[in-house]
Amino acid sequence: MSLLEQVVEHLKTLEGKPGEFKAMVSVTVPKDHLLEAIESSKDAGFNMISDVFGLDYLSYPGHQGKRFSVAYNLYSIEANERIFIRVNLDEGETLPTITHLWSGANFMEREVYDMFGVVFDDHPDLRKLITPEDLDGHPHRKDFPLGETPTLFNDGRFLDPAAFRAGLRGDSEGLTGFVGGARKGVASQQKPEGGKA
Amino acid sequence: MALTDLFTKDVQELENEGILFSSLEKLVAWGRSNSLWPATFGLACCAIEMMQSTNSRNDLARFGSEVFRASPRQADVMIVAGRLSKKMAPIMKRVYDQMPDPKWVISMGACASSGGMFNNYAIVQNVDSVVPVDIYVPGCPPRPEALVYAVMQLQKKVRGEAFDERGIELPMVEGWAR
Amino acid sequence: MTIKEAGTVSSSVQGHGDFETKYMRVNVGPQHPSTHGVLRLVVDLDGERIANLIPQIGYLHTGFEKTMENRTYQQGVTYTNRMDYLHGFAHDFAYCVSVEKLLDAQVPIRAQRVRVILNELNRIASHLVFFATGLLDMGALTLYFYTMREREKILDIFEMVCGVRMNYGYFRIGGLSRDVPEGFEDAVRAFIKDFPPMIKQYAAMFAKNDIFLQRTRDVGVVTQEMALDYGLTGPSLRATGLGLDFRKTQPYSSYEDYSFDVPTATEGDIHARFMVRFEEMGESLKIVEQALNRLEPGPYKDPDRRISLPPRSELENSMEAVIFHFKLVTEGFHPPRGEVYVPTESARGELGYYIVSDGGSMPYRVKVRIPSLMNLQSLAPACIGGLFADMVMNIASFDPVLGDVDK
Repeated sequence: MSLLEQVVEHLKTLEGKPGEFKAMVSVTVPKDHLLEAIESSKDAGFNMISDVFGLDYLSYPGHQGKRFSVAYNLYSIEANERIFIRVNLDEGETLPTITHLWSGANFMEREVYDMFGVVFDDHPDLRKLITPEDLDGHPHRKDFPLGETPTLFNDGRFLDPAAFRAGLRGDSEGLTGFVGGARKGVASQQKPEGGKA
Repeated sequence: MALTDLFTKDVQELENEGILFSSLEKLVAWGRSNSLWPATFGLACCAIEMMQSTNSRNDLARFGSEVFRASPRQADVMIVAGRLSKKMAPIMKRVYDQMPDPKWVISMGACASSGGMFNNYAIVQNVDSVVPVDIYVPGCPPRPEALVYAVMQLQKKVRGEAFDERGIELPMVEGWAR
Repeated sequence: MTIKEAGTVSSSVQGHGDFETKYMRVNVGPQHPSTHGVLRLVVDLDGERIANLIPQIGYLHTGFEKTMENRTYQQGVTYTNRMDYLHGFAHDFAYCVSVEKLLDAQVPIRAQRVRVILNELNRIASHLVFFATGLLDMGALTLYFYTMREREKILDIFEMVCGVRMNYGYFRIGGLSRDVPEGFEDAVRAFIKDFPPMIKQYAAMFAKNDIFLQRTRDVGVVTQEMALDYGLTGPSLRATGLGLDFRKTQPYSSYEDYSFDVPTATEGDIHARFMVRFEEMGESLKIVEQALNRLEPGPYKDPDRRISLPPRSELENSMEAVIFHFKLVTEGFHPPRGEVYVPTESARGELGYYIVSDGGSMPYRVKVRIPSLMNLQSLAPACIGGLFADMVMNIASFDPVLGDVDK
């Protein structure tokens, strides 16, 4: 049994729900067991923190459940394996910090705080990392606008990039006049199996 | 040649003997145009091409602009090389304000000139909204040759040999007026 | 930012006798010639020694991730290489490999080999800039002119292939945008022949220089434990004795075909970080040579019409090709729902794109695992306790690219 399987088995005992997509293993754990799950994975051999990042499922089609996810990307150098430990949370919920396990999580958690507004309890220095001090909001949230400036053409006509692009998404006609739609034989248009990874 | 020659001889004759006539303003501008010292204001990709313009192949030193000054107080021209984020904009304004008059600005690359491909919440869409720009250099990034050409165009502007889009001659040391 | 916010360290220390002395707080950057971009450092100084150092970043925040979420997958290639402008091909590579995994695209072997050749040449170019600017920070201006000379030669090859010197946009999801031009192989071969004597020339210029050795040996030491604690990757991690290289451990895009060593050093100081990169240039050259020898004629992009554009010749006599062309250009392709991550090795460390697809023609979320950002965190432990003058060398030795850090 490989290290990854061992850890996944252990995380199942912590109410973890494993998922696999294209040989990438992720385990969604409840918030209360997050610290325990990460600590046990670290002790088992996932000794390098690769990344901590947030995801916002606000406009994900068909998504149910909590809005945000925070994923911890851990890597084991000896076993050459990678695991994603994920936790789902809603607006206003906080997460425990893991900076005492890895000092390198400092910037990563600050970035998640900056971009998604997820607060990490007991973080030593929780400030904005990247965006300017005077920027209100959290840019990577789906309800934060991209903030494009409309393009002004010589004839005095403005072109709104978002309206132009809407046709690409397939949810409205946009300026391209194309209404998306299913194509024969395209797998993505069929019902996804097994939900998200 | 005696000093009296200056008053007795014809201008054409004197020029044949190697004496040139100019106004002091033009002479100063000529000297100034050949030693435009840029402030190092590399921001992104274009900064690498700005570095390359001083290397052995392109050699910006031929036009007197190779002395990149770390201190804005010693610089004449600021080359804004790269995309300017909204967090960096106040700092750029401050660097510009610290430069002594007369001063010029080259906006290098598509991002600095128009926001380029980054039409979003983080990038200033035109450097001209923060500091007055004299020369725009297109490209993503512009080749070092393009930057060398921009410096040569700026030299023309400094010497008063440049014209605006309506064909009206631009004033020689526009920088004083700022 | 106010001073109170900046530090968590107490700002006063007990001096000699009854005096209470305070740390002096110095601001470095963001506009500073030796910070390799718009990096700002807030440094607390205890005399000449650094007591605390806090990097302040974000002065080049470009909103790449958010912008890429509003572009189609194929358009994303234009954005990726502008993040790390010194090793742009690595970003294109990582992005394409991730999306191809999502799509199960079959990249032809010729495209894989060309990608490897260009990626490794770009790695050499990136390390050349590292040596130029790194030694420039130490006051050694001369090497700059020599390494930049060779970098121009590499850029000439890139210009021949992609038409531009930087910010290439040459890779496409499923292959390449077009085949390499005639004369590409000869140009690369000429470079392979010319470059090894130049490496010796560089070595003669700085490797045994007494000033260089004194300023770099046992300065800015990062031990292996510290490196793992801070998530350090890439050449800086290999300088601590851990030979982690994702080209070796998780080969992608035909890297498993080539034999090359992963240079390591054990000291973990600035000298080790310089030397690991120095040896890496030779290893990259070995990979380029092997890939070039195995480069065979063939298709250069995935023949799947749902991913790559049909050839121009078909557009004139095939209605189906026109339809696919129109669909791809106006709408792009629709990958299946899912989330993928493929780690790759850039000149700075582990680089990977975490891409979430919601079945639409644009990625739902793009998260870049940026090596420079994680490596920058190791700057504080490397600098603290050392001299202020060595800080500049420490920044150079981690080789951060600020476009990469701030995204």
